[in-house]
Amino acid sequence: MPPTPSAFEGLVIPYLQRQPWFLADMSRFDRGVWATVRLADLEILLDGRPGLASVVVTVGNRPFHVLVGWREVALAPAVLGDHQGAVLGMCSDGGGDVLCYDALADEELSRGLLAFATAGRESAKRVRLVHSLASHASLVYDEHLFMKSYRVLEPAPRPEIELMLRLEEVGFEHTLRPVAYWERNGWDLALVREYIPGAVEGRLLALTSLRDLLGRNLDDGRPKLEDVGGAGGDLSSEVRRLGEATGSLHLALAEAFGVRSLPDGDTLRTAAIRIHGDYHLRRVFRTDAGWIVGGFGDDPLIGKSADSTKPQEPRFASPFEDLADLSYSLRQVAAESVAAQPAATRIQAERLAKAWERRNRGAFLSGYLGVGGIRRLVALDRPAAADAIKSLITARAMPT
Amino acid sequence: MDDARWYEEAVFYELLPRGFFDSNADGIGDFQGLRQKLDYLQWLGIDCVWLLPFYPSPLHDGGYDISDFLTVAPDIGNIDDLVALVEDAHRRGIRIISDLVMNHTSDQHPWFIESRSSRDNPKADWYMWADDDHGFADVRVIFCDVESSNWTFDQRRQQYYWHRFFHQQPDLNYDNPEVVDAMLGVVRFWLDLGLDGFRLDAVPYLFKAEGTSCENLPATHNLLRRIRAEMDVSYPGRLMLAEVNQWPSAVTEYFGDGDECHMCFNFPLMPRMFMAVRREQRFPITEILAQTPPIPDGCQWGIFLRNHDELTLEMVTDEERDYMYNEYAHDPRMRRNLGIRRRLGPLVENDRRVAELLYGLLLSLPGSPVLYYGDELLMGDNIYLGDRDGVRTPMQWAPDRNAGFSRADFAQLYLPPLMDPVHGYQAVNVEAEQRDPSSFLHWLRRMLLVRHQYPQFATGSLEILPADNPSVIAYVRRSSVKDGPAAVQPELDSAADAARGPDFQVPPGEPEPTGTHTSVLCVSNLSRFAQPAELSLGRWEGCTPIELLGRVPFPRVTANPYSVTLAPYGIYWFELEER
Repeated sequence: MPPTPSAFEGLVIPYLQRQPWFLADMSRFDRGVWATVRLADLEILLDGRPGLASVVVTVGNRPFHVLVGWREVALAPAVLGDHQGAVLGMCSDGGGDVLCYDALADEELSRGLLAFATAGRESAKRVRLVHSLASHASLVYDEHLFMKSYRVLEPAPRPEIELMLRLEEVGFEHTLRPVAYWERNGWDLALVREYIPGAVEGRLLALTSLRDLLGRNLDDGRPKLEDVGGAGGDLSSEVRRLGEATGSLHLALAEAFGVRSLPDGDTLRTAAIRIHGDYHLRRVFRTDAGWIVGGFGDDPLIGKSADSTKPQEPRFASPFEDLADLSYSLRQVAAESVAAQPAATRIQAERLAKAWERRNRGAFLSGYLGVGGIRRLVALDRPAAADAIKSLITARAMPT
Repeated sequence: MDDARWYEEAVFYELLPRGFFDSNADGIGDFQGLRQKLDYLQWLGIDCVWLLPFYPSPLHDGGYDISDFLTVAPDIGNIDDLVALVEDAHRRGIRIISDLVMNHTSDQHPWFIESRSSRDNPKADWYMWADDDHGFADVRVIFCDVESSNWTFDQRRQQYYWHRFFHQQPDLNYDNPEVVDAMLGVVRFWLDLGLDGFRLDAVPYLFKAEGTSCENLPATHNLLRRIRAEMDVSYPGRLMLAEVNQWPSAVTEYFGDGDECHMCFNFPLMPRMFMAVRREQRFPITEILAQTPPIPDGCQWGIFLRNHDELTLEMVTDEERDYMYNEYAHDPRMRRNLGIRRRLGPLVENDRRVAELLYGLLLSLPGSPVLYYGDELLMGDNIYLGDRDGVRTPMQWAPDRNAGFSRADFAQLYLPPLMDPVHGYQAVNVEAEQRDPSSFLHWLRRMLLVRHQYPQFATGSLEILPADNPSVIAYVRRSSVKDGPAAVQPELDSAADAARGPDFQVPPGEPEPTGTHTSVLCVSNLSRFAQPAELSLGRWEGCTPIELLGRVPFPRVTANPYSVTLAPYGIYWFELEER
């Protein structure tokens, strides 16, 4: 017999109140909201020792999800290892005292969770907790599946899941494939996607290319601007492929969400489509099978980098907004490389970095415009498109 | 391992008999000379020698234009010399395979001379004749620098004949069963003499059919299966190694279901190793490995850095080819057809660190490595010689006259040895490098020794490990069976053994099952700058990686990402014991 609902309520609420992510979320509300905390939903996933339950509590109308595991009091500390902060407290499961804790700290239960989230279709030998954020915790299974276990729940379908499923429907391949999502009583509890180990953030590839180019400053003879294309670390063919992936992303978004017109008076001669909206070199990843796009909501891969993204509001705009965002990030990463150079070579580095940016911006656009069918979205020829993007980049570079 | 599957763990050494060692002072290397150098090859750690064509030939195509399949070119020796060579090699545990050119003959071959003599002679149909040059219009021209068409008009017969390579190399007509029988006779002839197999030249082109690319046709596969079946029955343990310069998915068809070729060269991998180093990122390599399908049990890839041909760029995109030209062949003389005609040393601008990195990859990626003679010294090339002769200059044995290759007059040599101050024989030669324990030659020998101790390098599965740094490539080679490395570590060479010279022999280590899964972890830095990397080694948590060359224990693996720091172009090989 599992612990009673009131036992869960008695343990989960104080536990939440000790969690920085919970307190950060709650700080937006006035104190009166604490009186409304209650257990809203409970499902026993595994009745026994160890046991596992999915517990939803609401604070006002805001639902929080905690996965609670329990074991014999004597065994639990060894299982939890370094995660002693995950302890909720003791209660009884009918057979005596057990120690309850956040189940994500327990590898065996975390593996079991994958089976629940995928209705028994997937299992794994190994799991690791990648990060634990306010909105969700991320787990990687056997380095090929990724689960996002939501903490703050939203009514299903979450925009993130909907977007992913629509892209899957229209056959968009340059992203992490959704595998399953776990829903109960109108709430999305978890999303399982494919995980590609070894995917490298676009920014790191760009830095690798720039490192090679700027490293030539140490070689005999001043590097010349025309050397940029010949630099060993030339990125242009990679960026061209990224342009192609971006073109197919926009065609997929257009197919999934429809094509609109830009508002009257807009000078860009493109259609308006649902755009990515946060498209830059930290959102694209090179894998052994080419580029993939991340950042639809936050993402297994993005968790690796320092900044975590805010969920994007769906936005209809010119696809050039995404192109300009990415092109602008080429400029930013070039500037970052230059700034890391010693002062003595910085002027020379700056010239090279500018040429690098120009070359790769051009390759990116060429790849994009080369995608079959892209003319449905973009009526401009290449020089006009390049000019339009350039002015959008300039606008981004303006201090606001 | 089943001895019939020796090739799966073998290290191959490709050599030009004319260029290796001249025993009779006529300026041309020969089989007797090669026999005298077998000790050297054994010392280096070679398991199988691949002989470039030694048949009589007018030498329009480096001997690949054969005018008699059933004998040895007189300047290289005779059949008795070959038999003696094979016996001597076998005594040392070295096997010998030779080139077999099935697709075409020389235009000086008696078969062709007869075939072109009239339209109704007994061999009239042994070649591909036509009244016009319109047939097979979609077929690409491979030697596009010199041949404008695959058809050439023959004045005597007043017809066109078909050739996929030079016009002096007419293609045989395999639709004629007599041709098939004749070629099977050639195969039996050499296997009966003791050769351990063949490197099959230009196999995709044997059969032709209108409306196709005339490459990889089903009939070609049927013929290869027929040859293999006969070899399995009458000549077990002999090898078929195919030259198939195609994409991996097409190449794997030449393994059949394990009933065609034992080995195929992996052509697309080679240029991408160079590209990865130049770009300082792993994706050119990992991407092509991801596209390489699994191969049947008992089959193996042949992998190489350089060979007697140009660095072929047929199996890269146009964009990649432009890149490779810019990076590795800025002088147009370095280019040939769709490739770059350079040896390894000059390709890496004589940077020993890059050469070590590339060999480190070659010896640890899936496949049996094929070394090209002279590249173990980082010998140079001579781009001012015609065709591919620039990479076929004499082996540099010593700082003596003619590189110690021959006692003939200099003017008599088949090609001049290299004499430039960087790559010339005075600076780069076997004698000097054997004396110097820190030479590249000794380094390579040590790596070959280590590779021989760990069958995982040869037959283990490959798993690319995620690394956060794109300039770092890390992978694990894991054997499917539980066994351990050789229980007795053969002593790695030292200055003392260097002084003992080529007579020094390493006792073979017998692997002893230890009941654990031993994997080999290879980590390489593709950048010319030092790099850090974090690897996920969760599966080996608690294990202590042992560096293979020095047996140095590294910090124990924990649940956290495993940090390594690599010197510029640095490589590490670790043993990982799975519990």
